[in-house]
Amino acid sequence: MAKELMLSGCAAAAQGAKFAEVEVICSYPIRPYTAIMMELSRMVANGELDAEFVHGEGEHAQVSVVLGASAAGARAYTGSSGVGVTYAFEVYSPAAGGRYPLQMAIADRTLDPPGDFGSEHTDAMSARDQGWLMGWASTPQEVFDNTLINYRVGEDQQVMLPQFVCQDGYFLSHIPDKVVLPDIAQVREFLPPYSAPHPLSTTCPVSHGPQIKPDQGAVMDAQRASTFLIVPEVIEKAVADYNRIFKRNIPPFIEKYKMDDAEVAFFIMGAHANTCKKAIDQMRAQGLKAGMVRPRWVRPWPTKQIAEAFQNVKAIASVETSTSYGGAMRGGNLVHELRATLYDLEKRPLVTSFMAGLGGDVILFEDFHFMAKILNQMVKEKKTSKHVYWIGFEED
Amino acid sequence: MAIKVPKEREVPFGAITPAPVGQQDLFMTSNWRIVRPVIDNEKCTRCFICYASCPDSCWSYNEKEDQMEWNWKFCKGCQICIYECPSDALSAVAELDFEDGVVRLEKPF
Repeated sequence: MAKELMLSGCAAAAQGAKFAEVEVICSYPIRPYTAIMMELSRMVANGELDAEFVHGEGEHAQVSVVLGASAAGARAYTGSSGVGVTYAFEVYSPAAGGRYPLQMAIADRTLDPPGDFGSEHTDAMSARDQGWLMGWASTPQEVFDNTLINYRVGEDQQVMLPQFVCQDGYFLSHIPDKVVLPDIAQVREFLPPYSAPHPLSTTCPVSHGPQIKPDQGAVMDAQRASTFLIVPEVIEKAVADYNRIFKRNIPPFIEKYKMDDAEVAFFIMGAHANTCKKAIDQMRAQGLKAGMVRPRWVRPWPTKQIAEAFQNVKAIASVETSTSYGGAMRGGNLVHELRATLYDLEKRPLVTSFMAGLGGDVILFEDFHFMAKILNQMVKEKKTSKHVYWIGFEED
Repeated sequence: MAIKVPKEREVPFGAITPAPVGQQDLFMTSNWRIVRPVIDNEKCTRCFICYASCPDSCWSYNEKEDQMEWNWKFCKGCQICIYECPSDALSAVAELDFEDGVVRLEKPF
C-alpha cells in the first residue's frame, strides 16, 4: 500500500532507485549527494534492495562502472556533486553516444575554487550539452517522481539515453518534506524491467564503443539530435501514464504558478521556486500581477511550452542559479536559452536576469521583491536597460 | 523538423555491432595514412619484429606463401615497423605513388 514519509531529497532519490529496482549501483563519496549512497548501501546491506553495490575509486570510475553495467543490460545508478560531476566529465559523451540509459543523481554543489559546500547549479549545467536528459526537481516528492520518470523515458527503445536527475544541494537534498511512496506493483506497471537491445553477452558477442570513421561522426550526431526531437512525445506519454497510475497531476514540461493573468513573471529552476511562489503571493496581496514558470527539464529544453507560457507577459526575470562568465548576457545560462525561446514571439516580453542562489546563497523574499521592482521599472520604461543584476551587489 | 540521414550513411545504433572476428571491417581507420610500408621479401627474414611492434596489429604471417602480410585497412603509416626492422626489408612509400592510395580517395571510406 502507498504510504507517506518525511524524506530529504537524498532519501527520496534513494527510495526512487529502490522502487526502480536498480541492479547495479556505483558510489564515491562527496557532499551533499553522498547521503543517497548512504541510504542505498543500508538498503542493500539489510536485504531491502537486491543490487550489486560497487565502490568506485573516483567519479570517472563511477560513471564508467555504470556504463559497463548498462552495456551488459543492467539498470544502473550512480550520482555525484560539484567537482565530482566535473571529474566524471569525459565519460558523459560516450555514455550518451553508446546509448546507455543509466541514471546519475546530482545534488548540486558549487564548483571550486576555493571549496564551498553550498548549492549552485553550475556543476550539472556544465554538462548540459553532453547528450543526456536533464532536469531539476523542486521538492523531495519530485525527486522521487523524476527518478522513475527518467528511467522510463531514458529506457524507451526510441530514446535510449542516460539521465541527470538534479536537485539543489542542501535546500532540497537535506531538508525533509512529505513524500508519498507508491505500491511496488504500481511502479512495475509504470516501469517494466530494463531490456537492453544489444547487451554485452558471451553467447551472442557484440562490439560496443568501436573507433568510428570521421565521416560517421556527423551521422551519429544527427542520429542523436533526431532522438532528442522525439523525446518530448515520450516524456508526455510517460508523465500521462505516471499521473494515471499514481493518481497524480504532474505537468510534463513546466510548472506554471499564477500565470493566467500575470504581467510580470519569474523564470526559475529547482528548489528556490518554493520561495518564489510565496513571494508571488505577497506581491499579489500588494496588487502586483506576478507569476512564475519553472522548467522541469533543461534537456530537452521545453521551448514550445515556455514560449506559450510567456506570450502575454510584459517583463520576465530570469533567476540564474548558475554562471556563464563572459556569456552573451554576462550572467547565467538560463537567460540565453530563455531569450532564444522567446525570439519568435509576436509580442516579445522584456527579459533581464538576476544572479542569485550562487555559492549556497539563499534567495530571500526581499530579493524577489527587488527583482519585482526592476521588472515594474522595465514595464514603465518599456525597455531592458540592464541585462544582468547581481543580487546583493547592486547599488540601490 | 525531422533530420534526414541518407540510408547509405546510417551508422548502427550507438555504433554497436556484431563482435568482429579478427577485424572490424565496418570501421576502417587507415584513411589518414600518407605513406605505407612496402616489404622486400628477399631481405625479410620472417623474424616477426614488425608483427610484434605494430600498435595496430597490421602485420601477420601467411604460412602458405611463407611471407609477411600487410593490412591496408588499419595501417596508419606510423612507420614503427620500418624503424624496427633489423634487416632493412621495409621502406616507406608515399600513398600518392599507388593507384589505390588512400590520399586519392574521392570520399573517405
